[in-house]
Amino acid sequence: MLKGHLDMIVLAALSAGPAHGYAVIEEIRRRSGRAFDLPEGTIYPALHRLEQAGLLASRWVTAQSGRRRRVYSLTRAGSRALAERRAVWQQFSDAIGGLLEGTRPWRKPA
Amino acid sequence: MAKAGVISDYLESLATALSFDRVLARSVREEVEDHLCEALAADRTGDRLEAERRAIANFGDPLAIAAQFAVVSLAQQTRRAGIAIILVIGGVFATMKARLAWYAMTEWAMRDDLRAVGATVGLVDRYAFRLSVVIGIAALITVAGRYATSRRQLRRSFLLCVAATALLVVSVISDGVLTALQLAGGDLCADSLVPLLSMTIEIACIGVLVFLVRAIALRTASTAALLNL
Repeated sequence: MLKGHLDMIVLAALSAGPAHGYAVIEEIRRRSGRAFDLPEGTIYPALHRLEQAGLLASRWVTAQSGRRRRVYSLTRAGSRALAERRAVWQQFSDAIGGLLEGTRPWRKPA
Repeated sequence: MAKAGVISDYLESLATALSFDRVLARSVREEVEDHLCEALAADRTGDRLEAERRAIANFGDPLAIAAQFAVVSLAQQTRRAGIAIILVIGGVFATMKARLAWYAMTEWAMRDDLRAVGATVGLVDRYAFRLSVVIGIAALITVAGRYATSRRQLRRSFLLCVAATALLVVSVISDGVLTALQLAGGDLCADSLVPLLSMTIEIACIGVLVFLVRAIALRTASTAALLNL
């Protein structure tokens, strides 16, 4: 189920600010209450794909440990894409909520 | 510096699986090494070897990860080829027009007995070139999409790139025949240099394109092999 939403999840994790791959995974775990415990290796191809699509930018920095580290951040296009996906997800979530509760018909926003 | 032991073996196998793209392999290796070191630093169990094994297990199978990277890399290469096709089309068009302008300026006409052949070859050239423009633009549109990373989409883009390149090859060969017909019978002089030079440029452009498309074909094969593992 997560596969189709991986891009949105990664974009959302980076909305807090620039981060390297490990920190992105930790942020996903933290913000999802550890519900999304993804195989860690799957995050990196997604980060590269999103960068290729212009939704993320990356730069290499030297960490305190002396290791070189690749830090990713949202681009403007990335922020826009995240806002769009958030809106679509909200609509979907409201519609499913209305359906499951069965109490009130969900109305599509104008 | 790679950590000795389990982690360095893991990084080595990941880099080997990514050897289809050396730049990518080097960059991913460095990135994953940083990740695994972070995971080790966060592990509080105290058993170093066990922590290394756990970090690697959590990261996943190197071949499966390489397969995902292969698709991303293939998409990037196909996108570059799409752009190259448009640039080559522009280059071939410009040199073709420059050659025709040169013939007009120097009042260089084709021999009467060769005109019929020239007209037929010219027709082939025109239609091959026009079709390559249409298909080349279609290839670029297909690969320009932000998420052109599904296998079906990449396959379609690749086939369009191959078709556009094949038509451009036909067009350049026709240009070569037309140039030969134009120069036939005359002595090679300074005036011949412009058509010969323009043909050399066209052949060089198409050579680069064929090389790029061949590289995509090889990358597609290695990606398919990784995905089918």
